[in-house]
Amino acid sequence: MNNRIAIVDGIRTPICKAGGVFDPIPADDLGALVVKEIMARGGVSADTVSELIFGNVAQPAGTPNIARIIALKAGLPVSLPAYTVQRNCGSGTEALTTAADKIIAGRIDIAVVGGTESMSNIPLLFNKRMAQFLGRLNRARTGTSRLRALSTFRPGMLKPIIGVIAGLTDPICGMIMGKTAEVLAREFRISREDQDRFALESHRRALAAKADGRLKDEILPTPVPPGYDRVQVDDDGPRAEQSMAALQRLRPFFDRHNGTVTVGNSCPISDGAAAMLVMKESRARELGLEPLGYLRDYAYAGLEPERMGLGPVYATAKLVQHEKVKISEIDVIELNEAFAAQVLANLTAFASDDFATTYLGMARCVGEIDPLLLNVNGGAIALGHPVGMTGARLVLTVLKELRRRNKNLGLATMCIGGGQGGAVLLEAA
Amino acid sequence: MTDAFTLRIDDAGIARIVFDLPGAKVNKLTSDAMAEFRDLIAELRNTAGIKAMALLSGKKNIFIAGADIDEIADISDPDDGARKATLGQTILNEVSTLPFPTIAAIDGACLGGGLELALACRYRIATENSRTSIGLPEVTLGIIPGFGGTQRLPRLIGLRKSLALILTGKPVHSRKALKYHIVDACVPTEFLDQKIDSFIADLQSGRIDSSPERHPRARTSWLLDRNPIAASVILSAARRSIIRTSGTFYPAPLLALDVIRKTRGLSLEKGLAVEARDFGKLAAGMVSKNLVKLFFIRERLKKDNGVAGDAGETSAVRSAGVVGAGVMGGAVSWLLTKAEIPVRLRDLNWDAVGKGFASAAGIYATLRKRGKYDAREVNLRMHKLTGTIDYSGFQDLDIVIEAVSEDPGIKQIVFHELETATRPDAIIASNTSTLSITEMARALVHPERFIGMHFFNPANRMPLVEVIPGEQTAPATVAAVVKLTKTLGKTPVVVKSTPGFLVNRLLLPYLNEAFYLLEDGVAPKRIEDITRRFGMPMGPFTLTDTVGIDIGCKAAGILENAFGDRMSVAPILRRIYEEGDILGRKNNNGIFLYRKDHKPLLNPAVTAIIEAAVRAKPESAPLGDDDIANRMLFTMINEASRCIEEAVVANADYLNMAMILGTGFPAFRGGPLRHADSVGTGSILRALTTWSDAAGVRFEPSAMLRTLGKADLPFHKS
Repeated sequence: MNNRIAIVDGIRTPICKAGGVFDPIPADDLGALVVKEIMARGGVSADTVSELIFGNVAQPAGTPNIARIIALKAGLPVSLPAYTVQRNCGSGTEALTTAADKIIAGRIDIAVVGGTESMSNIPLLFNKRMAQFLGRLNRARTGTSRLRALSTFRPGMLKPIIGVIAGLTDPICGMIMGKTAEVLAREFRISREDQDRFALESHRRALAAKADGRLKDEILPTPVPPGYDRVQVDDDGPRAEQSMAALQRLRPFFDRHNGTVTVGNSCPISDGAAAMLVMKESRARELGLEPLGYLRDYAYAGLEPERMGLGPVYATAKLVQHEKVKISEIDVIELNEAFAAQVLANLTAFASDDFATTYLGMARCVGEIDPLLLNVNGGAIALGHPVGMTGARLVLTVLKELRRRNKNLGLATMCIGGGQGGAVLLEAA
Repeated sequence: MTDAFTLRIDDAGIARIVFDLPGAKVNKLTSDAMAEFRDLIAELRNTAGIKAMALLSGKKNIFIAGADIDEIADISDPDDGARKATLGQTILNEVSTLPFPTIAAIDGACLGGGLELALACRYRIATENSRTSIGLPEVTLGIIPGFGGTQRLPRLIGLRKSLALILTGKPVHSRKALKYHIVDACVPTEFLDQKIDSFIADLQSGRIDSSPERHPRARTSWLLDRNPIAASVILSAARRSIIRTSGTFYPAPLLALDVIRKTRGLSLEKGLAVEARDFGKLAAGMVSKNLVKLFFIRERLKKDNGVAGDAGETSAVRSAGVVGAGVMGGAVSWLLTKAEIPVRLRDLNWDAVGKGFASAAGIYATLRKRGKYDAREVNLRMHKLTGTIDYSGFQDLDIVIEAVSEDPGIKQIVFHELETATRPDAIIASNTSTLSITEMARALVHPERFIGMHFFNPANRMPLVEVIPGEQTAPATVAAVVKLTKTLGKTPVVVKSTPGFLVNRLLLPYLNEAFYLLEDGVAPKRIEDITRRFGMPMGPFTLTDTVGIDIGCKAAGILENAFGDRMSVAPILRRIYEEGDILGRKNNNGIFLYRKDHKPLLNPAVTAIIEAAVRAKPESAPLGDDDIANRMLFTMINEASRCIEEAVVANADYLNMAMILGTGFPAFRGGPLRHADSVGTGSILRALTTWSDAAGVRFEPSAMLRTLGKADLPFHKS
C-alpha cells in the first residue's frame, strides 16, 4: 500500500472472564466505552469522522447493527453512518481492514473501528420443539384447545440451546472449536505437556506485563455498572497461582478419553472491546496527529473448517508473499492463542518446508517464528478471547509493543472459526 | 377591545374562535380579554345556524397559561377578589350554557383559568405535544381556582383525581389527562384541526355520547367518590398529606380542600359562590402576595442573563469537565449528564473516579425507583460520563467545573494544570463556597474565563447556584455560566466575590446566633421548635449537624476573619468543634445523636458543654419565644441589608429568592427582607439597638437599617 493507513490511537477495556465482572455490561455498552474514550482523547472532532465500523460475533438480538448503537451511545453525530462486520474471530481486524479499503478507495476519510463482545450475554435459546409448543399454545384460542396444546408439553422441550456452544460449533465439520484443536494436536503430534507448558508461559508473560505496567496505556479502566462500586483496571484472566501441576490435573474437555486439550490450555470465553481511530497517513500528517503506527497490508485465507486453527499460517503466507517480507524481519508477532495446540501447530507449520509445499504451494517454509517475539505480553489463554474484540486487541498490542521496543515491523494474525485465517502487517510510527 | 379573539364560521356552521393575545408571548385571561370573549359568546349565542364551537389558541405551545397574575397581585381586599372571581365564573357559565357543543382544542399549556375555561366547554381535545400540560397550579400562588375549577373538575373526574391536581398544583400531560377523563381525545398537534371536524361529525351522528353523564363511572369510582364514608376518608387523608409536606403554613391547599368538602352535594351555583368567596380571602392575603412576588422574581431571573447590558449571543456549553469526583463532583457530573452534556470527570486515581460514577448512578437509581427514568434513559445518560486520572480529553472542553477540596493550595494547583490542559477560552468555574474568586484569579494567565459556580449540597436537589464573577471575569463568561446553570435546571443568582458570597454570609450568622442563645440558657429543643414554627425546614442545630460541625465552624471562622467581631464564632460552637469527634450527621454524633429507629437525642457531651457555658455566664432575664426567633432572624436581616448596601447581589428580590432556594427560608414569608418589611424596619432597628447596647457589636445595625428604620421605611418599594 502506497499511502499507508495510520492508526492514530487505540484503546481497549480490560478483558474479563465471561459471567464475571463485566457480566452487567452488554456488548454495545462495552463498545461505546472505548469509542467515547477514543473520541474524548481527541485528535479529530466527531463531525469529521466519516464512518464507524465495528466487529461483533454474537450480534445480540436486542442490538442489531450494534455498530450504529455504539456510535450513538458514544455521542457521535446521528449523521454518522455505522455498520457491523462479522468474520468470526477475525471481526476486530475485519473492521480495520474494511475501513482501510474504503479509505484507500476514497469512499471515506476518517473512521472509528474496533470490536466488541460480551460472551457473558450470549443467551440460552429455546429449542425448536419448545418454540413450536409455545406457538401452538399461543394460537389456541378456546379453553379446550389450550388444554390440548398444553398436553403436548414434554420435559425435553426445556433443554435450552446454549448460544455460546452453538456459536462455537462448526456446522460444516460438526466440531466444536476445541475438537478442531484436537485434530491439530494429532496432525502435529503435540503432547499434552507441551500444550500445558505453553499455557503456563502465556500466564507468566501476561503477569509480567501487568507487573511492569506494560498494558496500562492500552487499557481503559472501567467503572462497572450498575452500582459503579468497583473499577476494573486490569485483565482478570492471568492467574498468579497457575502451575504445571494444576494444569496437568485438568481432564481433557473435548475428548474425555484420548484428548489433550483442556480448559487450562485453551482460551477462556470473555468480555471486552477495543477501538481505534484510522485515516490515511497523509491525512494524519495534515491534521498534525502522531499516529501509533500504520497498517501496511493484510490478508485473509480459507482452509478446511476442521483445521481452522492453522488459519494464521495460511493467511500469513499470502501476506508475506504479497508484501515480500520475511518472517525473520518481523519484530513483534501476535498470534492469537485460541488453543495452545493450535499455536504450537502453527509454529511447526510456519517452519516446515513440507507443509509449505503440500498446503501452501510455496517452495520453502513461510518462516520460522522466534518464540521470544511471539505473544510477548501473554495471549488469549491467559487474557481471554472476546471473539469480536480480539482482532482489534492484537493490532493494538502489536503497535504498542513495537513502540516500546522501538522496532518497526509487526504481525497480528489469528485463526478464524469456520476455517479461515487473518493476518495484518503493521509498522511502527 | 383588545382584538385578542378572531371568529370564523364555516359553511357547516362550525365556529372557530382563535385566542391570540396581542403583544404577549402567552395567552392569559386578562379582564379585557375576558370582556371581549364574553361579547363574542353573546354574539354566537344569537347567531343562527351555529352547530358547534371550537376554541383554539394562536400561540405556539400555549393554549391559555391562566389568569393575568398582575391582576391577582393587585387584589387588595377579599371582596374585590371575590367579585373578580364571580365575574369570571359568570362568563364561563355563559360558555357552559351555549346551546351547541363546545370544544376546547388544547395544544400547549392549559393552566389555571385556562383549564377552567376548557372545563366550561362541553368537550376537550388535547394534543400529544410534549408542551401540552393541563392543570390547576393556583395553590402554588397561594390561591385556589376561582373560575369554577374546584367545582367543575371534581364533577368531571371525581374527588380523588381532582384533589391530586388541585392540591398539589402539579399539571399533567395530555396522555394522563385522557386517562383521568379530563380530556375527551388526545391527538398529534398536526391532526388537531382534522380531529375537531371529525369529533363534531361524530357528535352529530351520535357516535359520541353527548350526555353530561357520559363518562363511564366504574364501580370503584362510585365506591371511592360518591360513597360519603369513602369521601371523608379521602378528604382527611388529603389533609394529612398536605400537613405532612408543608405544615399549616400554606393556607391555599387546606382551603381548597375545605371548599371541595363544603360544596360536595351543593348545586353548581352555590358551590361557585363559596369558591369565589374563599378565593377572595386568599388572593388578598399575605401568603399569596409573597408567593406571587416570588413568581415574578422567578420569571425575572429566567430572563436575566446575569450581566448588565447585552452580552451578545451566548453559546451553549456542549462539553464539560469536572475535577474532583467527591460527593459534589459526582452530583455536578450527574446534573450535566441529565442535561445530556458530555462530562469528563477527573480525579487522582481510578477508585476516586469510580466513586464519582457511583454517586451519579446512585442518583439515577433513586429517580428510577420513582419512575422518573427508565433503564434505557439512565444508560444513555450515564454514557455521557467518561473518567480520567489525567487531563486527557480536556483539550476541547467548553467548561471545567472544579470541585476539589476547599484548600486554596490544592485549588491553585488544579487551576494551573487546567490552564495548560484546556483551550484558552474554556471557562474554568470553581465550586468554592468560601474562597475569593478575585484572589484565586490573580495567579491565572486568563482570569477573564475564571468564575465561581457555587452549587449547594446536595447539588442534585438544591435549586440554587451562586454565580460569582471575580473582578476580572469577562461578561461573556458570566452569561455563559448563567445560561448553563439554567440548562441544568437550577436558578442562578449572580453575587459578588466577597467572603461567604451571599447565602452563607446570611445563613452562618443566623446559625451562630442559635449557639449564642444556648449560652443564655435557652434549651436547644426550644430553639429548634421556634424556628420550625417560623417555617424553617429544619432547626439550626439539625442544620448544623447536616452541614457538619467541622465545616460549619470553619466557614464561620472564615467569616469572622473577614468581617471581624460582629461575626465572632459563638464560643459554644467552637468548644463543640474542639471536641473533635462531634461532627454531625456524618458520624451520627452531633448536637444530636442519631440512632436508627430513634428520634434524635440531645448529645450528653454537648449538654455538658452548654451547662458549663451557662454556669459561667451571669444569669439574665428569661427570653420569650419572639426574642429567640428575632435574635436569629434580625441578625440575618441586618447582614442582608449590608449585602444590599455593598451590592453583593443585584437587588432585594434576588436576595430573597436566593435565601429561599439556598436555605429553605420559608417561601410564604417571601424571603428575609420581605419578612423584615412585614415586621417593620423600625422595630427591627429598635431591637438591634437594644441588643447591641447589651451584647455589643454582633447586633450593631447596618447603615441602611439605621436609615430605613428611623423612618420605618421598607426594603421593598412595592
